[in-house]
Amino acid sequence: MSASHIIVGLEIGTSKVCVAVGEVSENQVVNIIGLGQAKSRGVRKGEIIDVALAEEDVRNAIVEAEQVADVEIRSVFLGVTGSHVRGFNNTGVHPVVSADREITSADIQDVIKNAKAINLPTDHSVIHVIRQHFRVDGQDGVLNPEGMLGAKVEVDVHVVSGRYNRLQNPIRLVNGLHLEVNNISSSALASSLAVLNTEQKELGTLVIDLGAGVTEYAVYSAGVIKHTGVLAVGGDHVSNDLAYGLKVPLARAEQIKIDHGSAVINPGARDRKIDLSDDSPIPGRQINLGHMQKIMSMRLQETFGLIAKDIGQAGLIEYLRAGVVLCGGGARIPHITKLARDVFKLPVGIGRASTVSGVKNALDEPEFATPVGLIKFGVFQAQATPRRGGIGRVIRRQVAALFGR
Amino acid sequence: MSNPDEQTTGANPTIRLIGLGETGVKLVETLAMIAPEGVEAYSLDTDNRSLSRCHQSQPFLLGQAIPCGLGTGGDSALARAAVESDNDELAEIVRGADLVFVVAGMGGGTGTGAAPFLANLAKEAGALVVGVAATPFDCEGIQRCNQATGGLRDLKQVADVVFHFPNQDVILMEGDDIALNQALDIANRHLCEAVLGVSRMLLEPGMLNVSFADLQASVRGRHSLGSVVHVEASGEDRADDAVRKLLAHPAARGGETLREASSLLLHLSGGDVTMAEMNAVTLAIRNHSSTAKFVVGVSGQGRGEALQMTVVIAHAGKLAGADQGSSPPKPDQTGQASDLGYSDSFTVPDAGSYLDLGKGSDGKNRSGFAYTPPAPTAGALTPECREDLIRVAAKEEPNRTKRRKIVQELLPLEIVSKGRFEKSEPTIHKGEDLDEPTYIRRGAVLN
Repeated sequence: MSASHIIVGLEIGTSKVCVAVGEVSENQVVNIIGLGQAKSRGVRKGEIIDVALAEEDVRNAIVEAEQVADVEIRSVFLGVTGSHVRGFNNTGVHPVVSADREITSADIQDVIKNAKAINLPTDHSVIHVIRQHFRVDGQDGVLNPEGMLGAKVEVDVHVVSGRYNRLQNPIRLVNGLHLEVNNISSSALASSLAVLNTEQKELGTLVIDLGAGVTEYAVYSAGVIKHTGVLAVGGDHVSNDLAYGLKVPLARAEQIKIDHGSAVINPGARDRKIDLSDDSPIPGRQINLGHMQKIMSMRLQETFGLIAKDIGQAGLIEYLRAGVVLCGGGARIPHITKLARDVFKLPVGIGRASTVSGVKNALDEPEFATPVGLIKFGVFQAQATPRRGGIGRVIRRQVAALFGR
Repeated sequence: MSNPDEQTTGANPTIRLIGLGETGVKLVETLAMIAPEGVEAYSLDTDNRSLSRCHQSQPFLLGQAIPCGLGTGGDSALARAAVESDNDELAEIVRGADLVFVVAGMGGGTGTGAAPFLANLAKEAGALVVGVAATPFDCEGIQRCNQATGGLRDLKQVADVVFHFPNQDVILMEGDDIALNQALDIANRHLCEAVLGVSRMLLEPGMLNVSFADLQASVRGRHSLGSVVHVEASGEDRADDAVRKLLAHPAARGGETLREASSLLLHLSGGDVTMAEMNAVTLAIRNHSSTAKFVVGVSGQGRGEALQMTVVIAHAGKLAGADQGSSPPKPDQTGQASDLGYSDSFTVPDAGSYLDLGKGSDGKNRSGFAYTPPAPTAGALTPECREDLIRVAAKEEPNRTKRRKIVQELLPLEIVSKGRFEKSEPTIHKGEDLDEPTYIRRGAVLN
């Protein structure tokens, strides 16, 4: 390993394509040295619908990042998302057969292998298998059972899977630009890596990435991922609702959302009107600010409500002692924390990529959580050693199997 | 009428009003005071206390031996037993009637359990049976609501038509900050209007008549839920006003029930109904219901200047053994409990409708009834035998359905566009399309 090396995170999002370039020093400190972004035109709901347009956008973003960071990008860590991505928990069991009952690394590999033997639909493939905890003879919360004595080892894992073909689309696109894909990661996982510190993961936190096309969420508790989910509803839906409800063109709705949007209805907004006559063919065209904020508020409230319900069903709402962290472009909506606080009845904050250093711009903005998180994901992978592999080793093997490399 | 032994008095049909249970008795008491001449009122209950308040109607204590005048405490099976023990007396009460209104509040014991049985008796006596039923507020509990739904279904299977008013509709109309007694008053008034409207329609001498035969033709043997809407309007444009009120009435559901109706009986009364007014009203109704059979009646009497309009909306139910779920033209007006929600005591109706059909063979076969072999008595029904009967009934059902009117489906006026998500894979979450704007799915009003 050289003294420092470059790790690149690429997110092909619905509203923008974003590239973050990170420099990892030999003591594993990450420094963001460049960012590149381009408006995304070929993506809906987190998935590519126009390869040619998306390719052009990715190229532009990469070129910009290369210029800013003054490096040549050869390989990237790619964030994947979409409504087809889903997460669930699974358990693997393995009896310890050796005479002295000592658990060896072979036993651990076997139990994880068992946990990975999941009945997935034929068109699905695994993106991540993340270890949560081991159990040795019913003793819970064992982090590493190697060397312990026991008759039976169990492991809980969180599995994230997606449709094979739909996962391949962005990978093929990136390969088409003569870039290598080191690995893929679900965007929810990447965002959570960027914005959460160890303490938050231990206490229990819900990370919600409010993207333009999809809303992703991940629940951490006791230091491990307990639950992930993707909802194919995002900022685009807000704009679309506004365009429909206020009868304005979509682009105009988008602009109104940015200029006047609010996650809760401002008391003063009911009687206020926004004048649209400057670019509307109808003179004196006005829209009611109260209506606009109502439409917006209902959509966002519903989105949070669906997440809250899902997490409630998973029985995790009680474990979120560190509250909720919002990131993604949607976290910039005024009063969004207030709305989330009302829905989840938990403390809510905006996520900042506080665990890396570098370009100030990249760290302060919640919408760069995913690309920054992808860099951290890359760092973890590079760190991964066979013994304490964590996510990395497990995934590398999966991905190797998946992409035939 | 259909019973040749009985002499009907004069030209008017004999109308009997029978109230069952506490609600029914109360309603009948009110109705007896204001009903037109020639309507006979009876109050039947298992509870002595409620009967002791009867002054206008003839009281009759059900089940002297079983609940001993103490009420049933919500046990409809007990009510059924009581009413069966008084079979002969009750048969006497309904004998010779042309039209029997069975008025009951569903959800309790007596009304729920006894009404279907009494309706069956009346039917056997050859009368046209009109059920008038109130169902409880949603907040009275799911069990009561289920019992009500079951009772309503049972009643519907024996009565020719059931006019049903859910108390919950009052809340829909008036909002939920209405006082309870007011809410009950309104509910009672609607049910009274149903009875009064129909009796007035039949009894008032008119210039254009809606006759008993018209009513019979539109509801006999249909076993459907119908509605009666009674509105009053006065002033300059009383016709338009009346139509507006009609459409605003919860039973009309904004004209939806009119569209689904198979026949409509319209009766206008009031001082000097002009041709223009008649035209306006009939035109407005025809606009909503172009295919229904339509009968108009006008009578000169009325209360002062006000225009009173009564519309009987009847649906084309099945001719026999109709099941709520399987006839598309009429919506499940109870809006609660599905079939799964019925309590065990309501598994009888299959037998009930069979018993009823079987009685047709003893010479009193009435129009609209195909011959059906007499069913075995309830006691002789082994479970297997019952299964067979149900299976046979299920198989026969399609042949016995009434020819269904072909009504063109109306397209929804507002087509919700999904905008930029029109072509993308829809995001369906628990049956909801999340691509549609939330405020539209939630029914939020922007104004």
